Amino acid sequence: MLDIKDLKARVAGNDILNGLSLSVKAGEVHAIMGPNGSGKSTLAQVVAGHDDFEVTGGSVSFKGQDLLDLDPEERAREGIFLGFQYPVEIPGVNNAYLLKAAMNARRAHRGEGEIDSFEFLKLAREKMAALGMDPKFLNRGVNEGFSGGEKKRNEILQMAMLEPECAILDETDSGLDIDALKAVAAGVNALRSPDRAIVLVTHYQRLLDYVEPDFVHVLSQGRIVRSGDKTLALELEEKGYDWVREAASA
Amino acid sequence: MSRPSDDKLREIVARFPTTREEDWKYTDLSRARDIAARWLEEKPAAAASASPDRAAAITDSIDAAWLVIANGELQTSRPPDGVTVGKVDYIPLGDSALAEFNAALVSDGIRIRVSGKVSTPIGLLLIDSAERTSVSQAYVEIEFDDGASAGVIEYHASRGRADQYANTFVTFGIGEAASASHVRIQDRGRQHVQTSKTRVRVGKDASFSSASFDLGGCLVRNDIDIDIARPGADVSFDGLYLAGDGQHIDNHTRVDHRVGPATSRQEYRGILNGRCRCVWNGKAIVHEGADGTDADQANHNLLLSEKAEIDAKPELEIYTDDVKCSHGTTVGQLDETALFYLRSRGLDRNAAIQVLTHAFAAGLVTRVPVPAARDAVSSLIERRLEELAVTIEDEES
Repeated sequence: MLDIKDLKARVAGNDILNGLSLSVKAGEVHAIMGPNGSGKSTLAQVVAGHDDFEVTGGSVSFKGQDLLDLDPEERAREGIFLGFQYPVEIPGVNNAYLLKAAMNARRAHRGEGEIDSFEFLKLAREKMAALGMDPKFLNRGVNEGFSGGEKKRNEILQMAMLEPECAILDETDSGLDIDALKAVAAGVNALRSPDRAIVLVTHYQRLLDYVEPDFVHVLSQGRIVRSGDKTLALELEEKGYDWVREAASA
Repeated sequence: MSRPSDDKLREIVARFPTTREEDWKYTDLSRARDIAARWLEEKPAAAASASPDRAAAITDSIDAAWLVIANGELQTSRPPDGVTVGKVDYIPLGDSALAEFNAALVSDGIRIRVSGKVSTPIGLLLIDSAERTSVSQAYVEIEFDDGASAGVIEYHASRGRADQYANTFVTFGIGEAASASHVRIQDRGRQHVQTSKTRVRVGKDASFSSASFDLGGCLVRNDIDIDIARPGADVSFDGLYLAGDGQHIDNHTRVDHRVGPATSRQEYRGILNGRCRCVWNGKAIVHEGADGTDADQANHNLLLSEKAEIDAKPELEIYTDDVKCSHGTTVGQLDETALFYLRSRGLDRNAAIQVLTHAFAAGLVTRVPVPAARDAVSSLIERRLEELAVTIEDEES
């Protein structure tokens, strides 16, 4: 579904990704781990289309089409979803409005009509209940004054409503207490399906206790230096990232 | 009223303020002067009647009792109960060449008197339409009796390709414990010139709430002067200006706190795109003895283009001790992170820009003090922001 080949990217003149390759098939859950500064977030941002990052080499294809050719909104409509590490506060734009606009943008792209207001509300309330979110959040400004945990839940709510084919969650577990972590994990697990791919970008292993990955990759200096199954995450937790760095340079 | 000689009028036009005056430093009225001079030269016949269709479209869009002033002439007047409409006995000369120009040419000064609590808003449509260079004047006094209350919607519009210059004066006299709500919508043709002055006298324990929206015009200068000479006044006014290519919109505000306690609060916001220039100059003077004054002013600007220019200047003059005064001014660009966030959710760039600019303006729309005007204001702003977002795309490509 998502094929990344020899991807190279830079920001503000610094090379961050140095030939990264990753292939994610429908139905799979991949975890990308790595120390700070290894390029995890850059990878997520490049796939979503952030133009601060300049792609200097390689390719990214999604469902067989060249993703790098598309604007961020086109990628979203095709089914890419980025869960932000730092969800943006947008005062004055209400949450329900953004959710609806986002869903309608995807629907229009597929040639479907706009979602019915009642249907939308019913769906949103259901998803919010599952995430332990107060329905009042629908009428608040997007992430406006939300706590860290509320922001992450809101990202998962957007993902649940949009039902993307490929979700990339950037450090969605960071800064969460155990209840929020469980709610977020439940949201991710609910989306698992044979038609979807999920990429979890994370620094710690703890999310993986709740969302079991099929593959774990370790990123160092903009490249995947080690891949394995879920046991790799445990090994990392035990030995620390220095072990990977040593392994990479050995 | 007899019209002064053309020579006298030319002499007045020659005395229009220039950029050498501190209050006019950023706004060059040459274009208004040129139009006035040409208009005097061409000696036009009686003004053409303004397009009734356009007027109807506006008066139908807002539920109010409308007075329509077309090309400076009162056309229709359907005041609600508790409101009488008449003519002023005389027009004071005022303290500027613009006031003199107005007094010399206005055909009928209108006097509106509000006695009692009036629930239907009073609509004041000032609409101009001309196929030849034209100048129009309007002079309106609105007096609120003690304890009276009403909403006033002042709507400025113009159409036609010819050069037009409109010069308007609106005065509010607000009696004791009276309450005036005011919305001013300026949606003139993009090539027309306007100068407007709003003067407000606020009585004891009276309130004045206002919101202004400047969308059109190529050269626009608005002055609002608020005089607080009795204690207990509560004044609150907002302004929003949306400027695109070729527009110059200047808002000068002045609040005189002569006595306390009294509060005044103002917030102006601007969204600028393309080659345009806006000015906000907020002056608050707290006179000696005006103890218990609470004055707050804010001005926030969103610049969508490098060619857009804003001159923002708060001016506080305080001559007493027991006061609370604050001011804040910001100038910023569109938040690129927010823009990417919205695009990553599937909104295209234009839609995302509209969402963000609308959010920037939204706070002032929800505060529109005459609820009947809220929907119309909201859709006018939406339309204008849509135009501004499109200009950005053009600029990029």
